[in-house]
Amino acid sequence: MKTFKALSALLSYPSSDLQQAVPAIRAVLGEGLLPQSAVAALEPLLLSLENKDIYDLQERYVLLFDRSRTLSLNLFEHVHGESRDRGGAMVDLLETYRAGGFDLAGTELPDHLPVLLEFLSTRPVAEAREILADAGHILIALAERLARRETAYAAALEALVAFISADPRTEEAQVLLSQPDDNPEDLAALDAVWEEAQVTFGPDPNAGCPVSRDILARMDPQPAPRIQ
Amino acid sequence: MSQLLDRLNFLTSLRKGTFADGHGQTTIENREWEDVYRRRWQHDKIVRSTHGVNCTGSCSWKIYVKSGIVTWETQQTDYPRTRPDLPNHEPRGCARGASYSWYLYSANRVKTPLIRARLLRLWREKRKSMDPIEAWTAIQNDPAARASYTRIRGKGGFVRASWDEATEIVAAANVYTTRKYGPDRVFGFSPIPAMSMVSYAAGTRYLSLIGGTCMSFYDWYCDLPPASPQTWGEQTDVPESADWYNAGYLLLWGSNVPQTRTPDAHFYTEARYKGTKSAVICPDYSEAAKFGDIWLNAKQGTDAALGMAFGHVILREFHLDRQVPYFTDYCRKYSDMPMLVRIERQGDRLVPGQQLRASDFVRSLGEKNNPDWKTVGIDEISGKVVVPNGSIGFRWGETGKWNLEEKAANKDIRLKLSLIDKADHDKVAGVDFPYFGGAATNGFAVDDRGGILTRSVPLKKIKLAGGEEVLVATVFDLLCANYSLDRGLGGDHVAKDYDADVPFTPAWAERITGVRRDKIIQVAREFADNAEKTKGRSMVIIGAAMNHWFHMDMNYRAVINMLVMCGCVGQSGGGWAHYVGQEKLRPQTGWTALAFALDWARPPRHMNATSAWYAHTDQWRYETVRSQEILSPTAPAGDWSRLSLIDYNIRAERMGWLPSAPQLKTNPLEIGRAAKAAGVEVKDYVAERLKSGELQMSCEDPDAPENWPRNLFVWRSNLLGSSGKGHEYFLKHLLGTDHGVQGKDLGEEGAVKPVEAVWHERAPEGKLDLLVTIDFRMSTTAVYADIVLPTASWYEKDDMNTSDMHPFIHPLQAAVDPAYESKTDWEIFKAIARKFSEIAPSVLGVESDVVQLPLQHDSPGEIAQGVVRDWKLGECELIPGKTAPAYISIERDYANIYKRFTALGPLMEKIGNGGKGIAWDTKNEVHHLKALNGTVTEEGVTKGMARIDTAIDAAEVVLMLAPETNGEVAVKAWEVLGKATGRDHRHLAEGKEDEKIRFRDIAAQPRKIISSPTWSGIESEEVCYNAGWTNVHELIPWRTVTGRQQLYQDHEWMRAFGEGFVTWRPPVDLKTVGKTATRALAANEPHVVLNFLTPHQKWGIHSTYTDNLLMLTLNRGGPVVWISEVDAKKVGLVDNDWVEVFNINGAITARAVVSQRMKEGSMFMYHAQEKIVNTPGSQLTGKRGGIHNSVTRIVLKPTHMIGGYAQLAYGFNYYGTVGSNRDEFVIVRKLSKVDWLDEPATQITEAAE
Repeated sequence: MKTFKALSALLSYPSSDLQQAVPAIRAVLGEGLLPQSAVAALEPLLLSLENKDIYDLQERYVLLFDRSRTLSLNLFEHVHGESRDRGGAMVDLLETYRAGGFDLAGTELPDHLPVLLEFLSTRPVAEAREILADAGHILIALAERLARRETAYAAALEALVAFISADPRTEEAQVLLSQPDDNPEDLAALDAVWEEAQVTFGPDPNAGCPVSRDILARMDPQPAPRIQ
Repeated sequence: MSQLLDRLNFLTSLRKGTFADGHGQTTIENREWEDVYRRRWQHDKIVRSTHGVNCTGSCSWKIYVKSGIVTWETQQTDYPRTRPDLPNHEPRGCARGASYSWYLYSANRVKTPLIRARLLRLWREKRKSMDPIEAWTAIQNDPAARASYTRIRGKGGFVRASWDEATEIVAAANVYTTRKYGPDRVFGFSPIPAMSMVSYAAGTRYLSLIGGTCMSFYDWYCDLPPASPQTWGEQTDVPESADWYNAGYLLLWGSNVPQTRTPDAHFYTEARYKGTKSAVICPDYSEAAKFGDIWLNAKQGTDAALGMAFGHVILREFHLDRQVPYFTDYCRKYSDMPMLVRIERQGDRLVPGQQLRASDFVRSLGEKNNPDWKTVGIDEISGKVVVPNGSIGFRWGETGKWNLEEKAANKDIRLKLSLIDKADHDKVAGVDFPYFGGAATNGFAVDDRGGILTRSVPLKKIKLAGGEEVLVATVFDLLCANYSLDRGLGGDHVAKDYDADVPFTPAWAERITGVRRDKIIQVAREFADNAEKTKGRSMVIIGAAMNHWFHMDMNYRAVINMLVMCGCVGQSGGGWAHYVGQEKLRPQTGWTALAFALDWARPPRHMNATSAWYAHTDQWRYETVRSQEILSPTAPAGDWSRLSLIDYNIRAERMGWLPSAPQLKTNPLEIGRAAKAAGVEVKDYVAERLKSGELQMSCEDPDAPENWPRNLFVWRSNLLGSSGKGHEYFLKHLLGTDHGVQGKDLGEEGAVKPVEAVWHERAPEGKLDLLVTIDFRMSTTAVYADIVLPTASWYEKDDMNTSDMHPFIHPLQAAVDPAYESKTDWEIFKAIARKFSEIAPSVLGVESDVVQLPLQHDSPGEIAQGVVRDWKLGECELIPGKTAPAYISIERDYANIYKRFTALGPLMEKIGNGGKGIAWDTKNEVHHLKALNGTVTEEGVTKGMARIDTAIDAAEVVLMLAPETNGEVAVKAWEVLGKATGRDHRHLAEGKEDEKIRFRDIAAQPRKIISSPTWSGIESEEVCYNAGWTNVHELIPWRTVTGRQQLYQDHEWMRAFGEGFVTWRPPVDLKTVGKTATRALAANEPHVVLNFLTPHQKWGIHSTYTDNLLMLTLNRGGPVVWISEVDAKKVGLVDNDWVEVFNINGAITARAVVSQRMKEGSMFMYHAQEKIVNTPGSQLTGKRGGIHNSVTRIVLKPTHMIGGYAQLAYGFNYYGTVGSNRDEFVIVRKLSKVDWLDEPATQITEAAE
């Protein structure tokens, strides 16, 4: 479905090509894959891409997605972090692309969200929904974090969440979302962020290091600058 | 992932067959679940690489690659074996290294070239109508435009750029700077080449081709121990870790081997299993302390006092009351102890002066060549004064006698160590020694007995040329007096009894260091006793904790003296093992040719970074230490007190002792042009105009815009995040952005200003036009850069790595292509060189560049200045290369920088190669390289030359030219050295002529080096690598005045600053916690003043940087400081509280780790914790808390500036000022309010990461 291709483009580094393509993107988004409300919510992002100075757009993008670890569009950053499972997970994803008849071009890694979305645009809707749903909790967390920054990009992630009807009440999503929006002047809340998590050993060899993941997650909620 | 539904839990199959005698079985149920485990270990290939970080590990790792993605890594275990009865090296590696690989795919990676949006916008606007150089010129000529991007450094605002555009801007800035101010205003900083030598060479080759300045690092990091060149004329040479196993007694002194040398620590454990005794000296209960049989917890910074007491005991029991023949013999042959020192009169007092020289005597005792550089002693056989072989005068201008044979004028001799026998001396008189114990501040024990201690010394009268009669003493007798040993000569300040209250007795040391006297005596005795029984197998492993103090030389010389007294240096299992930032670049002489483009032009521009940063970050404007505070009361006459520390540095540059960058206020290309036009030789042209004042040295006015560094490259380094001592001064003056400097400069304070340096009322802010950081992650330095270029990481490039800890050459290999848009350092600088060559021709052609060169160590210049004379003060004539720096004309071909970069230039064939004072022909190697790498086929200036296109080509150049990796060169080099020494050393490499190590060889397995005269140890089947081995066993002199281990430093400045002999000097008072600093405290606010120490950490550098979350989570996740329970109580702190740490230099915020480990009065902050990780704002500065260097400022030491004097002569990273940082004190208080400063600083602020 072209909607995925459109979302892939929206989440890519802004260029003048992208600015010119906004009307076409707007048209594609109307093809009906996304709920009407989600499409409407994307309008501020489309407008900003259409009208804003390209340098400001690029600066915003670099700050959000290149520089902020917790907003990284490389999905495995959020589940595997710097653990050794990341390599294996990327290989699996790459194999999925290859099984679908595609190989990677360009310089992005397989787990980059725009890459995944472009791939999904070539797949049947049901399959796309299934693959995206696997990453549902990450998409929820990214959408929420972007929303906290009051950036228009939040709508792109929210659209994906709406598409898969992801349930923020699942345990995985809750892990990433459990943190309160804390007050940076509240010492007790800060201490909670730094508290060491209990290490649990279980049968799942891919669970990763819980302490690392948890601290990563808990580091995030400091209110960050709002970026329109 | 669950296998529950596939696996049988309650049933077992009946249709089960067995095979292989029941060891195998066939089943019919689904076994797909097993694939999970199979897949986990599937891979396409395994590549050998390592982590090219600033650590001495050089550990071999297997990198597993599947579908072009690195999936995991394991330790490699195929090191060549050592030899029977010695443990092997493997496995090497540590948790820090193992966690590295995930940087590869970390969100912290720099994916594309990044540029400040404001700069890029300016650039593109100008570029619409202008060429690149015009565009850059236009931006620089518009102060508002320039400030628009320089003032927001560190505040985000990056956008992506293409490689083409990014390299074009960089090249345009370099061309503009070269043309307008001179190429020496283009600086480059990159440390520790051994960790990835080709990547280092990429940048310095480019800089050297355009005439840019390569900054030193080893001295700047304060990892260079100046005591090493002072004593041995050698930068640093140490045993490999395997040699610890050969020791009989291991003294770990301020070194935390189990924590910071993980891959080598097993040798320490194994040595202890073998029965080696170990003593550990450190103030805290470190990880090493628990390995010790005995732990001496000396107060931090008092190590020299402890070392003096050890020396006192060793001299008393092993040299005086009883003489150990091995020790006496060793000291006679291998130290300057038997040499004669002239005793000078100062009014009615006597002080030790210069060591006597042959030239002092009638007809120079028959020596025609360099008699003023040949020291003398008394021969026991003939009873006469003789000129023994081996002193530095024999090194230059003649051959065959520069050796340590016991000979003088071809006759056998035996030098007399002492004149203590009545028959040998004419009188006993009091000689003055300076004493600094009364100058202690900041809680260090004050021991005030006046600044001069007069002690009795046996003296002999000797008649010199011209009839003058002087008193002389041997170094040994002076040394004994210096150590306060009562030898029955009467007089004060000496002791027979260890309990006496006299400086340097164990009882005295107990009061200074807090270590019980019986423990001091025990360790000294055991150390020497073992050395006596094993002929020198006592070893001291020593580290940063000892070397980072302002008076590090005293700490180190106290230790070195112990080793020399006990004959340990140069013996397997013995000696001095200094492991700090000292990664041995084993194939050094092959590498220097590549790295500094010696194949195209010589010499390159080298700069000692400490002096440069001191001047250019304006730290000198805030100097709190006056020279009289460190001056000796026995100083010779002179204007010592009048000069500020920067004034000393200016004089040192002027006399040719230290290098300068920039060099002259005038563009060196203009000088070259003018000299040519005038038809005058460059050196004469410059000399004449320096004298007239028409030309000025830049060092005299560092704040004048013509003298600023304009462009700075930082690669393989985190200058601003980790090594930038005086961090806040860097931000304020060099970068011109927000900073946390609290103190006022000398002008505002109304303090005494320098006399040599020009003072500007307003200090410049923002000297750099362009800061380029090349890194694979967004480091603190990258955050402050104008342009960030993404580089390849360790599994993405071909390179080489060597270490002092083991004797192998190890590769880095590109297991996968560089991720995202990153490129290797080699390719990056190649790309910049290409752009430079494209755009330069409009303003630069073939130019004549005038390079200023200081008097170099290991060259005839090292004996240029026997006495200190300043031409500017009219004390001598200005003679370039003799009384001033040399000025050398070099041809630059700016249109062909790229071509030159990628081909081996003609000088290797024309002049040859060499190092450390010897040179050899290298035509055959060039011939082989042409065959191996191929030749340049494209038309142009490099056609037919050996190609250096890829990083592997570059590695082959290094391997082919270096004696360590090419046996043929090794044999040649030993042969050349043999001419100077008159001895045949070829046997050390013979039989290895055809051993030529190639890059593909080390990819297959790490290869052991071949013994080479570049180093003082050898690799053989008999001994481990150990420093000084060839000096002792091959009788090759040390590169010092006497040719022996130099315990007495007789240079005028050494004597002026009280360091002729080793002594105890308390840490200096940097005055950073006075009124200006305490102003910030509320009335009655609880606080404590602590000594600020920055040791190496457990969960970060050296193997990974401190923003690795895996490592952070093993600690506390962000910056921490360690505080003792006692000090915590004083401030009402509990563990994990936030604290603010500050002084006039800046402020840091961190969490407190309250621990019994810590000694009261001190604080640890592991170095290189990052500002970009979880650092809240400081209440004091209102800015994000700083890094560990925010509370530091460097202070220069004049004795480190000496040049033109044998071992005290400049060499890159070899001798020069060092950036000490442990004398620093800080105020600590509880942070009442934690503010993450997440509001935008300008329009857009840093990400919250």
